[in-house]
Amino acid sequence: MNEYRYEDIRIGHKESFTVTLTEEMMASFKDITKDVNPLHNDEEYARSKGHRGRVAFGMLTASFLSTLAGVYLPGKRSLIHEVKIKFAKPVYIGDTLTVEGIVEEKNDTYSLLMVKVTIRNGDGDKVCRAKMQIGVDS
Amino acid sequence: MTHEQIMEKVQQIFREVFDDDSLVITDSTNSSDIEDWDSLEHIALVVSMEKEFDLKFDLKEVNELANVGEMVDLIASKL
Repeated sequence: MNEYRYEDIRIGHKESFTVTLTEEMMASFKDITKDVNPLHNDEEYARSKGHRGRVAFGMLTASFLSTLAGVYLPGKRSLIHEVKIKFAKPVYIGDTLTVEGIVEEKNDTYSLLMVKVTIRNGDGDKVCRAKMQIGVDS
Repeated sequence: MTHEQIMEKVQQIFREVFDDDSLVITDSTNSSDIEDWDSLEHIALVVSMEKEFDLKFDLKEVNELANVGEMVDLIASKL
């Protein structure tokens, strides 16, 4: 886990990691949220809607923003204030996602980072775009 | 910039932050007058004002503000 302090981070600072979305993650997410929508849970239904398989829960993909802030940027001292996210393309089970954050702005008064986040699948397609406002605890 | 000119810009910032085009603020408006004015929105207001007026606040001075009028006075003192 990174332990950056506010002063350590410059505009343009980048952090990234990769994660493969698994059946187990889908099952855990369903258990927690009780989201039983067939697009995520019924293979046949998802295919009938033009997908190659069950579509991953968007909020499961979004949950990796928590990892980005809490483990990588800034890591230990992270406090997420705000997230704005767009789901550009579907994510499927087995996809390997690359989550990358880049610091676009800082606010010295409140020790805030404004981070632009891109999540890409294994083909390099952007599946999610997000903006995060993250506080850095002293 | 006059108090009124600053207030006009501050009102626009409030409308954007609280996503309410009909919001009208006065010198005496404070956080108890606007339901969504919590600590996170206060940060959003301060960050927006720093950008709009191209200035920096001190954390202590923004935490001591009692109402919008004091906020406008603080901005005026830094321009």
